[in-house]
Amino acid sequence: MSHDSHHAPVADKLDLPPERSDLGLIRPDRTRGFFDWLTTVDHKKIGIMYGGFAMLFFLIGGVEALAIRTQLARPENDFVTARMYNQLFTMHGTTMIFLGVMPLSAAFFNFLVPLQIGARDVAFPRLNAFSLWTFVAGAFVLNGSWLFEFAHLAGWFDNFAWHQALVYTDFAPANGWFSYAPLSGTFGQANAALQAPRFTGVGTDFWIIGIQILGIASLAASFNFICTIINMRAKGMTMMRLPVFTWMALITSILIILAFPAITVALIELMFDRQFGANFFNPSAGGQPVLWQHLFWIFGHPEVYILVLPAMGIVSEVLPTFSGKSLFGYPIIVFSGAVIGFLGFAVWSHHMFTTGLGPVPTAAFALLTMAIAVPTGVKIFNWLGTIWGGRVRFTPPMVLALGFIWMFMCGGFSGVMHSAAPADSQQQDSYFVIAHFHYVLLGGVLLGLMAGLYFWFPKIFGRMPHAGLAYLATGMVILGFNLAFGPMHYLGLVGQPRRTHTYHAGNGWETWNFVATIGAFILGFGVLLAFANLVYTAFKGKKCESDPWDGRTLEWSLPSPVPEYNFARSPIVATRDVFFEEKYGVHKISYEADGGDAGVHMPSQSWFPLLAGFGFLIIGFGMPLMSMGMPGAGWVVISGLGVMFLGIWLWALEGPGGYMLKTPTGAPNAAVAATRSAY
Amino acid sequence: MFSRLSTQVAVFAAPLFLLLSGCSRDDLTVRQSTLDPKGPVAQMQYDVFMDTVWLVLVLFALVGGMLVYAVIRFRARSTDSDQPIVEEGHGNPLIEIGLITASIGSLVFIAIPTLSAIWYTDDVPEESVPTSKLAAWYPRVGADGKENYPKVVEEQVLQIDVIGKQWWFRFEYPQLGLTSDAKHTVPNELVIPKGKAVRINLRSEDVIHSFWLPKVAGKVDLMPGRKNHMWIQANETGHYYGQCAEFCGDSHAYMLFRCEVLEPEAFAAWVKAQKAPAVEPTAGSKAAKGKEIFAAKTCAMCHNVGGQFGAGVFGPDLTHVASRKSLAGAWLDNRNSQAQLALEKQTKNTESSVAVDPVKLKANLIKWIGSSGTSHGQDGKASKDVKPGNRMHYYAMFGVAGLNVTKQQFTAEELDCLAEYLLTLK
Repeated sequence: MSHDSHHAPVADKLDLPPERSDLGLIRPDRTRGFFDWLTTVDHKKIGIMYGGFAMLFFLIGGVEALAIRTQLARPENDFVTARMYNQLFTMHGTTMIFLGVMPLSAAFFNFLVPLQIGARDVAFPRLNAFSLWTFVAGAFVLNGSWLFEFAHLAGWFDNFAWHQALVYTDFAPANGWFSYAPLSGTFGQANAALQAPRFTGVGTDFWIIGIQILGIASLAASFNFICTIINMRAKGMTMMRLPVFTWMALITSILIILAFPAITVALIELMFDRQFGANFFNPSAGGQPVLWQHLFWIFGHPEVYILVLPAMGIVSEVLPTFSGKSLFGYPIIVFSGAVIGFLGFAVWSHHMFTTGLGPVPTAAFALLTMAIAVPTGVKIFNWLGTIWGGRVRFTPPMVLALGFIWMFMCGGFSGVMHSAAPADSQQQDSYFVIAHFHYVLLGGVLLGLMAGLYFWFPKIFGRMPHAGLAYLATGMVILGFNLAFGPMHYLGLVGQPRRTHTYHAGNGWETWNFVATIGAFILGFGVLLAFANLVYTAFKGKKCESDPWDGRTLEWSLPSPVPEYNFARSPIVATRDVFFEEKYGVHKISYEADGGDAGVHMPSQSWFPLLAGFGFLIIGFGMPLMSMGMPGAGWVVISGLGVMFLGIWLWALEGPGGYMLKTPTGAPNAAVAATRSAY
Repeated sequence: MFSRLSTQVAVFAAPLFLLLSGCSRDDLTVRQSTLDPKGPVAQMQYDVFMDTVWLVLVLFALVGGMLVYAVIRFRARSTDSDQPIVEEGHGNPLIEIGLITASIGSLVFIAIPTLSAIWYTDDVPEESVPTSKLAAWYPRVGADGKENYPKVVEEQVLQIDVIGKQWWFRFEYPQLGLTSDAKHTVPNELVIPKGKAVRINLRSEDVIHSFWLPKVAGKVDLMPGRKNHMWIQANETGHYYGQCAEFCGDSHAYMLFRCEVLEPEAFAAWVKAQKAPAVEPTAGSKAAKGKEIFAAKTCAMCHNVGGQFGAGVFGPDLTHVASRKSLAGAWLDNRNSQAQLALEKQTKNTESSVAVDPVKLKANLIKWIGSSGTSHGQDGKASKDVKPGNRMHYYAMFGVAGLNVTKQQFTAEELDCLAEYLLTLK
């Protein structure tokens, strides 16, 4: 059996002798470059990959958004067809939520949580890699549907019998990100082959299996973070000393674990409806379409808080740093985050005010929705209290964080308007709603995440993004955003319904739709500039010191970029804002007597999480192929299942492995000069 | 609740609508505006909305003002001391509790009108029944001695069944004998009497749709397998614009409807006209040839034409198709657009309407019939369908065994004759 004691501690993993796992295979510990990234279990590298993929999909989702806005710039436009438009808004929503914001949040969780709690990695490093690759598989499946759609439009499938037999020929999903049954499901009676007629084509099957795979990735990651945060904290890092970002990571992970089972069940039921003629949502066979909505929104509303709480956590780190003051009302911020998470499960039916719930449930959900404004308001008050009496430095992350508060506040206010159910019956499914949730998710979450990117980028890569470009990009994003989504409040109130690919001239919507399109392009170029600035910085940016912002939490005590073992010696924490205290206060960080020449334990790298994730990729493409009626596609699914189980099986049998890595001796923070940055 | 003037001032003043500061009253009364309520339901919803606007304005001024003040007042200055700010405390419980209490209190301000409006908008209120029940305004027995409606329903208000399909609405008046069974249904153009409460029963025959007539009432969904209801009342006559508000597939954007609000007497006359059968076209005319094509090309399989073809229930009833101001789920407008816009400008009322333009109507008919289904050939290519995905001429989508998987093709001459025939159906 392989144990880390087999080998003497090494200074570099490349100095390790080749090591065989319990299966007798060589472990990929000594790989470099591309293969190192494929097999890594280092939470920092996984975080960077999450971030890279998230930014890629943000840009794809952004291009989809710009196509949508181009189509809507003029009335009765035909830039895209009706179906293509429906596919664009479906994929835009799905991409931004599941492939943009969630993985970008996961990137921050991965990179920061172990650093903020004084740990050397997450609780289950290989599970972490599995989450990443499963997410990538799900993302490829969802976007792979576009390839099929374009091949179909180009006529490549025309000569195939299975293609000629299709009644519906949409290959990319066109149901909206909510995929309401029965439009996404079946109608009538199933035939002898258990196939019931459907309203949509295989695009929906891509969506179902893609979201299902992404759910597995999110669930695995969430269990990992909960275990990490509960169990891996450094000595003295009590729960009420956790940085607020880590707290929000914990609450978000709990929300994911409680919310995703609902969508998992709903997706399986929908899949059974479509593939096997089950009748969960088929009204002509006694199914209940409204059941889908309950299951979807009891996931879908907590999902909103899954998206927004990490950004709130980021802002709660950025504001104290650049106000030079500790967070106002730390316990109340943490508690209100938990209350938001709790109440988030009690308001789902406010998405269904128009489905004929009846007055009593409508009233109950209206009141609960109003109630959730209270803990959200409390957060805003406390951020205000944090700025109050401080010394506000307008660095790029701070400008973005202030933008977050302002935009999120606006989005919150229009949210309060929706809670009044009778008013909502006019606003629901109109552009007013689009304005509302883009203020929350784009003005709020995206600005918060961008604040986080600019804030922690120097820590991640040891390089400082160009400040001038950052200000310019921030200005473009905020200006373009308000120009695009501000007018949508008006458009919704004067009756423009959402998810419509065109509209009549003469309805009075022409001017502001055109303005919104101009705003969307300014916003798009702003985001592109902000991301380009970051990507350039990652490779060629100006090197910077390890604590450029006068940071307050543990991660700023580490060198930049952070070494693979994180902490040369494990810290012992005596207070909140521990690094700030180290620099200016009385509660200094002390260190355990580990590390040094005795080494710290590092987990072994592995190919098997990647292999298991690859299995999901095969399943993900196999299921829609089966639904298309492509011959032999069932075997593709079965082989995908085989690959996935093989990956997990080998991963279980290879043994944990690990090796000892020497760390530098001497004062851990010798290199850190507690100086203020040039900003 | 609040006067119209002050509510409009509030809308102008709302920072959310800063961008609109240059806009006029006309911008708030466009065809589907929710800010121009024309009936008690929409009015109630508008009043609740304005309550939320006022609350939000106050909160926005307070919190936003504090935020701007704090950011400016506490900005870092070169004169700041080098000493970091080290606070012993982390917050102030009194401030926190005070703010939470104030937040809850301010929400009560909108909670009370919200609750009362939820019950008010749910179903026809008791107080409206005496003036709105059929017996109060619609004679049960007409001057010709014929029954207008059975006695059992005279204490009821007018009921209308709204049936949603991909992608059009069918309206039925079960008390007045305008139903599928009686071979009289009303596609896409709802007609209601002015000033009378009307109960709407919402049904769907395929996917979820939503009935939204912004100036008269907010939306309620049409759920397949479920019976939803709402009530509406319009207090001004005119031509209103509505739209399906729940995404329902390819041509969701083309699923619109119109609502004609008539004086009660005119409404009764309209019901009578609906029950009249279609006029037989002159023998040997183009229209007569069109009627033959209507039968030969299986149009009659789906479309009912009162007194001539009675088999069809799947597609819209065409008995009076030429009398309607719109076609194809109200996407194609049968009126002269320039004349219509000029009239709206002149009367400053988007509910005013010009009459049907027969030339435009014929062009629309040819465009609609000629293009439909072209996108659904074996090639699967995108097309310039008036309504992509619609089932006219494309039987595979019915999901019914035995129907041919073919589509109908028409020559230009056939289309011309068909249109001439349909033009006779007034």
